[in-house]
Amino acid sequence: MKKNGKLAQSYLVVVFLVLYAPILYLTYYSFNSAGTMQGFEGFTLEWYKEVFHDTRLFIIVLNTVVIALLSSAISTILGVVGALAIQRVRRNRPRNTLLAMNNVLIVSPDVIIGASFLIFFTMIGIKLGFTSVLLSHIAFSVPIVVLMVLPKLQEMSPTLIDAAKDLGASGWDVLTKVVLPFLRPGIFAGFFMALTYSLDDFAVTFFVTGNGYSTLSVEIYSRARHGISPSINALSTLIFLFTISLVVGYYFLTRRSSRKPDWGVVQP
Amino acid sequence: MTEKTIIRFENVTKKYDQDTVLNKVSFEIERGKFYTLLGPSGCGKTTILRLIAGFIEPTEGNIYFNGKVINNVPADKRQVNTVFQDYALFPHLNVFENVAFGLRIKKMKKADIAEKVKEALRFVNLAGYEEREISEMSGGQRQRVAIARAIVNEPEILLLDEPLSALDLKLRTEMQYELRELQRRLGITFIFVTHDQEEALAMSDEIFVLNEGEIQQSGTPIDIYDEPINRFVADFIGESNIVPGRMIRDFLAEFAGQQFECVDRGFSPNETVEIIIRPEDLEMTEPEQGNLVIKIDSQLFRGVHYEISGYDQAGNEWLVHSTKRAAVGDSVGLRFDPEAIHVMRFGETEEEFDRRLEGYGQNGTAAAEGERQ
Amino acid sequence: MTRTRNLYLIPYAAWMLLFVATPIVLIVYNSFFDVEGHFTLGNFQKFLTPVYLRMTFNSFWYALLITAFSLLVAYPTAYWLTRTKHKQLWLLLVIVPSWINLLLKAYAFIGLFGTYGFVNSVFEMVGIGTQQILFTDFSFVFVSVYIFIPFMILPIYNAIEELNPSLVYASRDLGASPWMTFRRVVFPLTLGGVKAGCQAVFIPALSLFMITRLIAGNRVVTLGTAIEQHFLVTQDWGMGSAIAVLLIIVMAVIMLMTGNRGARNTIR
Repeated sequence: MKKNGKLAQSYLVVVFLVLYAPILYLTYYSFNSAGTMQGFEGFTLEWYKEVFHDTRLFIIVLNTVVIALLSSAISTILGVVGALAIQRVRRNRPRNTLLAMNNVLIVSPDVIIGASFLIFFTMIGIKLGFTSVLLSHIAFSVPIVVLMVLPKLQEMSPTLIDAAKDLGASGWDVLTKVVLPFLRPGIFAGFFMALTYSLDDFAVTFFVTGNGYSTLSVEIYSRARHGISPSINALSTLIFLFTISLVVGYYFLTRRSSRKPDWGVVQP
Repeated sequence: MTEKTIIRFENVTKKYDQDTVLNKVSFEIERGKFYTLLGPSGCGKTTILRLIAGFIEPTEGNIYFNGKVINNVPADKRQVNTVFQDYALFPHLNVFENVAFGLRIKKMKKADIAEKVKEALRFVNLAGYEEREISEMSGGQRQRVAIARAIVNEPEILLLDEPLSALDLKLRTEMQYELRELQRRLGITFIFVTHDQEEALAMSDEIFVLNEGEIQQSGTPIDIYDEPINRFVADFIGESNIVPGRMIRDFLAEFAGQQFECVDRGFSPNETVEIIIRPEDLEMTEPEQGNLVIKIDSQLFRGVHYEISGYDQAGNEWLVHSTKRAAVGDSVGLRFDPEAIHVMRFGETEEEFDRRLEGYGQNGTAAAEGERQ
Repeated sequence: MTRTRNLYLIPYAAWMLLFVATPIVLIVYNSFFDVEGHFTLGNFQKFLTPVYLRMTFNSFWYALLITAFSLLVAYPTAYWLTRTKHKQLWLLLVIVPSWINLLLKAYAFIGLFGTYGFVNSVFEMVGIGTQQILFTDFSFVFVSVYIFIPFMILPIYNAIEELNPSLVYASRDLGASPWMTFRRVVFPLTLGGVKAGCQAVFIPALSLFMITRLIAGNRVVTLGTAIEQHFLVTQDWGMGSAIAVLLIIVMAVIMLMTGNRGARNTIR
C-alpha cells in the first residue's frame, strides 16, 4: 500500500499529542514545587516522598494489587475451565446461549454491573468490603479470560488431541501435556487482561466497596473531587511507569511465542 | 493364515446419528504388508483408520487385533500409531520432544529415550534436527517428524491418514518411494489412506477401494487396475472408456454397434454389461485397419502422450493415449486386442467377481477352444 | 471421545448462574419495589415524568455526540495507522493510554482545562482570553471522546487490516480513483468494524457517571449519574433498578440491531 502523505502524518501526530497530553501534563506537574497544576515553580521530588510516606495510600495500593492478583488468578482458572466447557458443547443452541451469557458482563455498562452486584451482595448477606470487591472483580474478569482463551482453543486442531491419545496419553496427560501448553499464550493474555481490568476498574468497585475499604481508583476519585493534590500527580506518574513496564513485559512475552500480540481492549 | 492376520473387521458398521458412514465392512489385514484404503472423500476410509486407531468405536460388528476383540480398547492402550493428515505435531514442543512424547508418557528412562529418539530421527533422515522448533521445519520435514514420532513407539501397525496430501507434487513422489522403503525396512504393517489413485497404485501391496461406506474391491494394484469390478472402480482408478454393451455369448461381446472377440465368459446369453477399455490399450491406425472408427474431436498434449478424444458412429466417446499426434476432424481407426476388452457385470459382488475371474485362469483357454469348434 | 461428560461445565455454569443471571434477576425484581419495600409500578411511572424523560433524552444525545465525534476522529486515525511503517507499535501506542487508570486521565483534564490550566494559558497567549472550559458540555464531550477513542480505533483498525489489499488494487485497476475506491470498496467493507466501535462507545457512554461528576460538575445529568445517585446517595434502589432495567433493555435492542458480531469484536 501507499505511504501516508503529509496531511495524514500531521493528523496522526496531532492525535498522538492529544492522547498523551494529559499523561505528560500530570507527570510534568508532579515535579512542581508549587504543588499546583499551573505555573512551574521549581523541580522537586517532595510529592513522591509524600506518596511513599502516606501509609493510608500505601495500604490502598496494597489492597488494589492484592485484589488484582487474586481476582485475575482465580478468574484465569475459572475462565480456562469455562472455555474448555464451551468448546465441548457441540450443539449450536446451548453453545450460543453460553456465549451470550458470557458476553453479558462484557457489554454491560459498569454502573449496571455495580448496581446489580450491590443488590446481590446485600441480599445474600456478604459484607461490603474485601470479599465483595474480590468477587465482583472475578465476576467481570471471567468472561474476558474465556474470550481470550476460546479462540486459541478453537485454533487447536482436534487431531492434536487424537495424536496425544494415539501416543498413549491418558485424559489427564492430554490436558496437562498438550491442551494447557497449547493454550498458554491465550491464558497469559487472559490473565494479563484480567489484571489490567481489575487495576483499572472504578465504577464497579465504587458500588460494592463499603466504608473503610478502598482501592486506588476510588481513592483518586474522592481526592480529585476535593480539588487538585500534587501527590496524585506523583502517584499517576508511578502508575504510568508501572503500566508501561507491564505492557513492555507483555509485549516481549507474547513476542517470544512468535505471535503478534493481541492487544485486548474492552470498553472501560 | 490366522497367525498372519493382524487386524480383522467383522461386519463393522459405523453410524453417526442416523448417518451410516460404514456399512457392514469385513476384511482382513495381514502382518507386514503395505495396505492402502482408496476412495473419494466421504467414502469411509478415514473412519476405518479411526476405528483401528481407537478414536471411535464401531456401532455394530467386531474389530479383532491379533485375534482379540478390541472394540472398546481406548486409543492410548493400542499397539497402533497414526501419522495424521495435518501431522498434528505439538507446536509447543521441539522436534526431539515431539518424538519423545509417547516414550515420556510410558515413563521410559531418559537415556533410553534419547537413544530411541535419535535412532528414529536417523531412520527418517532427520538426524541433527533434534533442537529445531516445529515452525522452523518445512512441510516434508514435518511429515518425517510425524513418522518418527509414530514409529519410535514400535507399533505393530502404522496408520497414515493422507499424509502426502499437503506436499507438492515432486516431494509427494519422493515421499512415496521413501514410505515404501521405510515399510520394507521396518517390516510392520502400514495402512495408508488416500484419495490419490496413483499413490495407491505405486506403493501398495494391497488396495481396498471404498465407496459410500462399502469396500468395492480389494486386491493387488495390478488386479484392480486391469480388472476393475464395476464402473466406480474403473472410473476411479486410471482413465477408462466405459461403454454399454451386451455379451452375445461367451467370448463374444457387442458394443458400439459391432461384435468383438473377447476373453470373458460366464455370462447369460445376451446379458447387458458394461465394456471397459483403457485408453493406452487403444492404438490409432488407418480407418480401414481399425476395429472401430472414430472421428477426432479434441486433442491435448500431456507430455508423455497425446490425449485424444473422439466419437464413434454410435455416439460413444473414446479416449486414446497415443504418442502420435492426430488432426482434429480426421477419422481414424482404433485397434485393440481381445485381452484389452474387459467386461463388467452389473451388481456383481466381490466374491462372485473373484470366482468368475479365477475360472478364466484355470480353464479359460481350454473352454475358449471348445467354444470355437 | 464420544461418551466423555463435560465436567468442566459444572463450575463454569454454576458461576455464570450465580454472578450473571442472579444479579440481573435481582435488579429486575428490585425495580418493582419502592423505598419502603412495597410492590409498585411507580418507579416505571416516575420514569415517564418530564424530569426522567429529559434525562434520558440528554443521555442519548450526549452518547450520540460522543460516538459521532469518536468515529470522526478514529476512522482516519485507524486508516492511516494501517499504512504506517511500524503499525503494530503505533497501535500499541494508541492503546497504552487506555490502560492508564481512567480516573487519572479525568483528573489530568481537570488540570488542563482549569481556569489557570494549560489550555487557558494558550488561549491567553494567542489573545482569546481565559474561557470557562471545565464544567461545560464541551469539556464533557471532549473528555469522553478522549476516553473512548481507543475503543473506536481498534475495531476499525482490525477491519481495515483484514481487508484484502488486492481488493483495493482491483478497484484501482477497474478505473476507480483513490477516493472512489475508499467510498465504494474500503468503507463498506470496514463497516463491521465501525459498527463494533460504535457499539463499544455508545453503550458505556449512555451510562457514564464518573466523568459527568468530575468534568461536567453535575451540569450534565445522565442515566448513569441517576443510577449512582439512587443507589449510593438517596438509597432509592427501586428507582435506580428501574432505570438500570430500562438501560439493559435499550442495550439489548442496540445489540440486536447492530448484530451480535460486534460484541465479539470489541475484544481482540
